[in-house]
Amino acid sequence: MTDHKLVLPEHPSYPEGLGDLEKPPAIFVLGETSTAPAVAVVGTRKCTRYGLTLAEAFGRALAGAGWTTVSGLARGIDAAAHRGTLSEGGEAVAVLGSGIDVIYPSENADLYRRIVAGRGAIMSEYPPGTPPDRWRFPARNRLIAAIASAVVVVEAGETGGALITARLAAEMGRPVFAVPGDVDRPASMGCNRLIRDGAHPVLGVDDLIAELSLVLGAPAPRRGFGVDLPLTGLAIDQLPEFWGCTPTQAMARLARMEITGEARRSGDVVVPGSR
Amino acid sequence: MYAAATSVALVGGEARPVRVEAHVGRQQEAFKLSGLPDTAVREAKDRVRAAVASAGIRFPNRTVTVNLAPADLPKGGTDYDLPIALGVLAACREIPDLKEAVVVGELALDGGVRAGSNALGAGVLSARGQVPCLVASAVAGEAASIPGARVFGVASLAEAVEMFRDGLELREPALPGEPPPAERGPDLADIRGQAMARRALEVAAAGGHHLLLHGPPGSGKTMLARRMIGILPRLTVSEAVESAMLWAAAARRRGLDRQPPFRAPHHTASKAALVGGGSGNPVPGEVSLAHRGVLFLDELAEFPRSHLDTLRQPLEEGIVSVARRGTAVDFPASFQLLAATNPCPCGFHGDRRRPCDCRPALRGRYRARVSGPLLDRFDLIVRVGRVEEGEYSGPEGEPSAKVAERVEIARSAQLERGVSNRELAIRTAVTRESTEATAIVAAALGSALLTARGADRVRRVARTIADLEGVERVEESHMAEAIGLRGEWRDD
Repeated sequence: MTDHKLVLPEHPSYPEGLGDLEKPPAIFVLGETSTAPAVAVVGTRKCTRYGLTLAEAFGRALAGAGWTTVSGLARGIDAAAHRGTLSEGGEAVAVLGSGIDVIYPSENADLYRRIVAGRGAIMSEYPPGTPPDRWRFPARNRLIAAIASAVVVVEAGETGGALITARLAAEMGRPVFAVPGDVDRPASMGCNRLIRDGAHPVLGVDDLIAELSLVLGAPAPRRGFGVDLPLTGLAIDQLPEFWGCTPTQAMARLARMEITGEARRSGDVVVPGSR
Repeated sequence: MYAAATSVALVGGEARPVRVEAHVGRQQEAFKLSGLPDTAVREAKDRVRAAVASAGIRFPNRTVTVNLAPADLPKGGTDYDLPIALGVLAACREIPDLKEAVVVGELALDGGVRAGSNALGAGVLSARGQVPCLVASAVAGEAASIPGARVFGVASLAEAVEMFRDGLELREPALPGEPPPAERGPDLADIRGQAMARRALEVAAAGGHHLLLHGPPGSGKTMLARRMIGILPRLTVSEAVESAMLWAAAARRRGLDRQPPFRAPHHTASKAALVGGGSGNPVPGEVSLAHRGVLFLDELAEFPRSHLDTLRQPLEEGIVSVARRGTAVDFPASFQLLAATNPCPCGFHGDRRRPCDCRPALRGRYRARVSGPLLDRFDLIVRVGRVEEGEYSGPEGEPSAKVAERVEIARSAQLERGVSNRELAIRTAVTRESTEATAIVAAALGSALLTARGADRVRRVARTIADLEGVERVEESHMAEAIGLRGEWRDD
């Protein structure tokens, strides 16, 4: 890894939010940093398909609004948020708990490369080569909370890193959003608790963007989202009803949208594509 | 003293004449049998001796030699009992010469004649050579349903002897029997929701296309697959004969069933059970038992990969070569492949409600158990999603009989062209495509949604969709749907 740089607090490209920390650290950066407002999208690794779809939709919507998405490159919600952002050509920032050149988990190597190749950046306060020790992750979460102007928790269990990020963000005065879920679903318990403790419940993708724009300023003009498909996707068998056509016509229309990149299949559901 | 009778051997699902030569010599009493008999044939000696005695005829107390020619073709089964007995009786002039009559049947010790497995083969030879044939009366109707066959049913050896003494001209040949009642299996009306998967099943049935269903456990993949048989068109008589002969070669009786066979081997089945083999005379496997019908592989990824790869030859050529002991036998194996699989070991990857517990690497390995070349051979790849509560309590689905009517119409268009859409040559398919239809395939290739081989599959499926609509030209809408029905089974 040769083209990373060490950015000190005095430097003009130093992420502004980090200044709110008690001891702003010097950070290693690979890629580009920008001054666009950043929103953290975080959540558990043990997530549901629903959570993944939402995280991806959030990533996409934030990118569409012209904001940066920050997350931790972890399995599950983090990766989905990054993916959504990248698919919309947005700025994805991944803050690692290891050295900037240590990709963990390795399954996200491709995502890592796409972030570097795109408009986003990889950041870490640890020197290159640092292994991903467990205890570094909560520390990493404080950077995510600080860089972001708001934090969205998509799914979280009763304990876990996402809740730490949310708490730290709240302590720094950042608004915290949480996606409500079934009261008996383990992956939603943390989020529901956050809402009880005062976090904003997220009522949908559009609602999230509207709420965030109160904090971050008006989003970039929207492109034609949700005309052909809701951002959170639809089960394939629901397409005929949604489009008001026969299954035969729906399958043909889906294929055309897949060819142009407007739609993509993901398990049981069809989600908007990157174009 | 010498005489000969004609009987049948099944080689690669085809009926071949076997000459049963009998010689009665002057030496001391003995009964010799040659011509590569298996144990069942060798035991014919005892049954023949007893049955002849029961028929009230003295068995010659001299040297009896029986040879089954061609002598290098392995013979099996009990169908040679009756021709051996009649051949020996003709050799010692108890009955007149048998001429060209084809004879099959197993003998009981009391002289009765039982149905073996080759009655249909006898019928085929009878029709082909314009000669009479003699089979057990229990299966005479079945053999007689082969067009052109002249079949005589006999219940006992004594009756057969009498028949030859009087001359066959005096007898009335057996009439074609009633086909077995059509067992249409479970009905599509039982399936609620799943509109896309139902459509895929209909298209697959209409073109004889290979179909892969993937999705979480409990979504109804197996239920759907088992309903395929109820919407497929009935077999033609010659197809039914092909199928029945293969079944007979595997020592199973199927009769002239016009319903396409449906075979669902378990994933623990051996390679020999799947493609054919066995020691000695090669026996057709599941791929041949499914000839002209459906081979259903449930839990596709659980099948050993080496077993799945043996399916490539039959999928490509419609036959399977089984090599054994210096001989290779080709069995017909032109079947429609239907397969179902979970997306990952736990089954819930991509499910809307339940998380998947599998590590990504494990998921990748699971999918890799089905090789790319095999996946490429599926014409339709369709996700069967979880059925939502609303759908589950919704109205009944369309009944199979209704779907079958549409399938029948689409198939008759293919019969006119002389080839099913599954086997349609791409060059032929292309000539009836609109410019827009061709353009959308090119676009799908360009966007990496399809591989070149996948594009060929899609074109055949589009042809079927046009046939279902009863139109001659493949339009863009047909092609687009066909592309949509070939969703990849992939990770994301």
